[in-house]
Amino acid sequence: MITATGWTKRYGGTVAVDDLTFQVKPGIITGFLGPNGAGKTTTMRLILGLDKATEGTVTVNEHAYRDKRAPMQEIGALIDPAAVHGGRSAYHHLLWQAQAGGLPRHRVDEVLELAGLADVAGKKVGGFSLGMQQRLGIASALLGDPPVLLFDEPVNGLDPEGIQWVRALVRRFASEGRTVLLSSHLMTEMEQTADHVLVIGRGRLVADLPMEEMTRQSAQSHVKVVSPRADELVSHLEARGALVSNGTPNELTVTGLDTSVIGAIAFAHGIPLNELSTHRASLEAAFMELTRDSVEYRAQRDLAA
Amino acid sequence: MAIGLSIGFSALIALITGLTFDAMSDGLRAEFDPILTTLGGWIFGMVLVITLAVTSVTSEYSSRLVRTTFILNPNRNRVFAAKAIVIALLGVAISAIVIPGMFLISQPIYHFYGLQTASVTDHDAARYLIIAPLLEGLNHALIPFAFAWLLRSTASAITASIGFSVLPWMITPMVPLWVQENVLRYLPDNAKDCLLGQLGPGAPTYLGDTAAIVVMAVWIVGALTAAVFVLNRRDV
Repeated sequence: MITATGWTKRYGGTVAVDDLTFQVKPGIITGFLGPNGAGKTTTMRLILGLDKATEGTVTVNEHAYRDKRAPMQEIGALIDPAAVHGGRSAYHHLLWQAQAGGLPRHRVDEVLELAGLADVAGKKVGGFSLGMQQRLGIASALLGDPPVLLFDEPVNGLDPEGIQWVRALVRRFASEGRTVLLSSHLMTEMEQTADHVLVIGRGRLVADLPMEEMTRQSAQSHVKVVSPRADELVSHLEARGALVSNGTPNELTVTGLDTSVIGAIAFAHGIPLNELSTHRASLEAAFMELTRDSVEYRAQRDLAA
Repeated sequence: MAIGLSIGFSALIALITGLTFDAMSDGLRAEFDPILTTLGGWIFGMVLVITLAVTSVTSEYSSRLVRTTFILNPNRNRVFAAKAIVIALLGVAISAIVIPGMFLISQPIYHFYGLQTASVTDHDAARYLIIAPLLEGLNHALIPFAFAWLLRSTASAITASIGFSVLPWMITPMVPLWVQENVLRYLPDNAKDCLLGQLGPGAPTYLGDTAAIVVMAVWIVGALTAAVFVLNRRDV
């Protein structure tokens, strides 16, 4: 489990991470979302002790990362897969890390096999494609078979097969009870993979909730109601606190009440329904809504149009 | 290549010394020392040791592998100490090849031209061949190693290290006596030269053996302490 408490990082007058408090629990996949410059990578670096927090603490399994004696066996991290010695082979790139972490040599062969790199183990990593570098970075993270995994943009540069591989891999790790924290800009990918999301904007925690809750809470999640007596139903729904807007004739868009309550209200007043369906917002829509005020770098409206 | 250049350059200096010895003034001929004169080619070995010491640190920053290093080993003091030991041993090992090499190639040339020679069995030569690799190796490995952690740039750290070693020696004749006595005297290269016998008691920057050892130790330990302090405070 990763626990951050009152965590703040300032660079001079700039606040990169502001009073973050959260937990990343084992057994589920936690997605870490935020616009560019929101502080995601800074947060990952802080967890790994590469940056020093100005205030607050973070622990991984109850201890600060910098106090760990065998960190590779506790945390596997994918932070910067392009940081390699280009002249080394994939095998030797992993071997020096295994030796530095006191791991047996056979782990190198095992993770190369797991990452689908066994056939290119002898090739120099300088010639690797972005996707192969990504696989090598994930192989590095898995060397110590750690119970906590921290992956920053793990599907960058991967082909569809590679993306499915990462998805299956992290699901398997979570099902084994490991702690998995993923950051990604790819909302559809995150929507399919993560069980829980942490959203940060301008360094502050904007949301910390299950994926389903995140999309359900979005203003763009609604219930579509089609009824020949739709106008009559509006007042009954509004009396129960719903926000109702009219679409096409006989069609209502309702937020604030779920289908079972709307159905019961219609039944109680003898109003027939032709359609009653839930339209859940996408993660992307929910994310955009949450981080609207937190975007650090935005294209000019006229350029974007 | 740098090792070959050092030894070759010393041979060249010995050759020129032999060819021009008779034309030298009486004073220069009296100052001729068959041991210390062989150190002329050391500049190449020194640059090699400095470059290896600096790049052992800065190459990790330029490739960003330093992050991997500290993810694998979060105890920064341990990483620093391990690298410092390897670099110190490497510096002494290179010096232990180059300095005796320069000595051994120069003696037959001096002998050929009928000049005074030294043998490894002579007390002074044996002392020199043991102390010089140790002092040159440690001084030119550990101080640049500390500069590399402080500056994190290959060009800056190599320039600073070579400048720090060579500049005081170059400016000594040009600066006032009080600068020589109160500033240049307490620099590590000057202390090392005193210990190697390159500066005698008559020189304005001369230090006795004990004082020279203390000055060198303070510089090396001070530079390493500053580097490890900064390393522990900075983000990687």
